Amino acid sequence: MSDAKTIDAAFRQVESPREPVSRSGRRIAVCPAAELLPGDKRIVDVPGGPSIGVFNIGGEYHAIKNVCPHNGAPLCLGSVHATHAPSELHQFEPCMEGRVIRCPWHGWEFDIVSGKGLYDRNSRVATYVVEVQDGVVTLVL
Amino acid sequence: MASGTIPIIDCDIHPSDSPALPLLPHIPKAYHEAIRSGMAANRGAGYSNPFGVIRRDADCTDPRQTARDHLDRYNITYGVLQPPGLKVSLTNNIDVGNALATAWNDWQIAHWLPADERYLGSICVNMNDPAAAARELRRAAGAHPRMKQLNIPGESTDLYGHRRYFPVYEACAEAGLPICLHPGAEGSLASSTPVGRPSSYFEWHTGLSLTFMAQLISLVAEGVFERFPTLKLILCEGGVSWLSHLMWRMDKNFKALRSTTPWLRRLPSEYIVDHVRVTTQPMEEPETDAQFLNMLGMIHAEKTLCFATDFPHWDFDAPSAVLPKKVPEDLKRRILFDNAAELYGLKAPVMAEAAAS
Repeated sequence: MSDAKTIDAAFRQVESPREPVSRSGRRIAVCPAAELLPGDKRIVDVPGGPSIGVFNIGGEYHAIKNVCPHNGAPLCLGSVHATHAPSELHQFEPCMEGRVIRCPWHGWEFDIVSGKGLYDRNSRVATYVVEVQDGVVTLVL
Repeated sequence: MASGTIPIIDCDIHPSDSPALPLLPHIPKAYHEAIRSGMAANRGAGYSNPFGVIRRDADCTDPRQTARDHLDRYNITYGVLQPPGLKVSLTNNIDVGNALATAWNDWQIAHWLPADERYLGSICVNMNDPAAAARELRRAAGAHPRMKQLNIPGESTDLYGHRRYFPVYEACAEAGLPICLHPGAEGSLASSTPVGRPSSYFEWHTGLSLTFMAQLISLVAEGVFERFPTLKLILCEGGVSWLSHLMWRMDKNFKALRSTTPWLRRLPSEYIVDHVRVTTQPMEEPETDAQFLNMLGMIHAEKTLCFATDFPHWDFDAPSAVLPKKVPEDLKRRILFDNAAELYGLKAPVMAEAAAS
C-alpha cells in the first residue's frame, strides 16, 4: 500500500504501531485473568490518572485510554467489531475482527491494538502495557 | 476593468440555435420524421422564469456578435459554450436523444468553434444510454481539439456516482476531458427537492444546489475519483459556499462510516479539492467582504473556484463586478483564469495581445 493516500497511511500505522505509554512503572491490578475472557473488557479509573479500557482480544490483552481524541467521549463504552480494509473499487474485505472500537458519540473507528484512528493520518488514542502477574491482569503505567 | 490585466476564462456561455443557425441540418435525416412527430419530447422541468431567462440587453445566437458583445467587451480570453444540448439525456426516446446529442456537437463544431478561437465547445451525450454516450464522447473529442468537456445536466435517472455511467467517465479520462455538471431539467423525473415540488421558479432555482450536493456526494462515495484518478469535475451554476459544508459533513461522516465504502482511500474533502471545481456564477454575495474572503478560504478557492458569467442569462455576473476589491490579486487570477486554464489545459495569452485589444 502506498502512503500517498490518507487511509492507506492510517492502516499502515496499524501494522507498525507506536510504543505503548509506560513512564513510571506503576502497576494497577485490573481483575483476575479468569474474569476477563476473550471479547471482554474492563474500564479502570486509575487513581490520579486516566480512565483506561482493558480488552481481551482473542486471548491477548490490550489497553487504550478511555478518552476519544475528537471530543473527549468515553471511547471504551463504544461497540467492538471488525472493519473493512482499504480495498479496490466496490470490494469488501473484512479485517481486524474484534479489535476495532467505534466511539459512542460520533462513531469514529479506532484500532484497540495500535490505538490508531482508522480515518486519517494522525489521530490515535494512547495505548498501555498490560501484563498478567500471578493470574491478575495488570496495567503497567 | 477591476480585473486589470488578468486574463479571463468564462466557463459558462449559453449559445442557442436560431433560424440563421438551426440544429435540424445536423440531425441525420433518418430522425427527421421522428422529431416531426414529437419524439424529441422531454418532460421539461415545469419551472420557467416568469420574467424570461435571456437578458433583455443581450442575445447569444450569432457567434461573431457574441464575440463582440461579450468576449471583446470583457476581455475574455476563452469562453466555454454550454448549448441547450446539455439536457438531451432527458429526452424520452433514447435513440432520438442520441441523435440530438450528436447534432448539438456538430452544430458547435460547424458554427461556433470556427467563428472565433476563443470559443471552447462542450460535448453533449445521452447519459441514459451510457455505451452510446461513451462512443459519442470519443467521436466528438476527436472531431475538434476545442471540444473541451463533457456537459451533463443536474437531473439524471440515477445519481451520477452509479457505475452504469462509468463507461462515459472512462472515455472522459482517456480523452483527458473534465465533466461539467450544469443545471438542467431538475424536476423532470422526480421532484427537484427531496421533500416535494417547489411552487415557484424562485424556489426551484434557489434549490438547484440540492441537486449538485446530491450528485457530488454520490460521485465521491461511489469511488469515481478512485477509479478514474485523473478525472476532473466542474460544477457549474450550482452554488459555491455549500462546498465547505459538504466537505466538512462528508469527512465527519466518513470517519464513522468509512468501512461502508472501503474503496475510498482518502478523505472525501481530499478527493473534492483535487478533483472538483465550482463556478462563481451566480456568485453568493455575503454581507461583508470579510465574509466573502472567509468563504473563499473555506472552499480552497485558490484551487476550486472558476469564473463564469452565464451569458446571456438573467442572472449574469460581470467579471469586473463579481469579486470584491479586497480579494488579493494572485487569488483573483486563480479564480478568473488559472484554475480553469489548468482544468482545460489552456495557455495564458501573451500580454501583447491583451494590450492590443
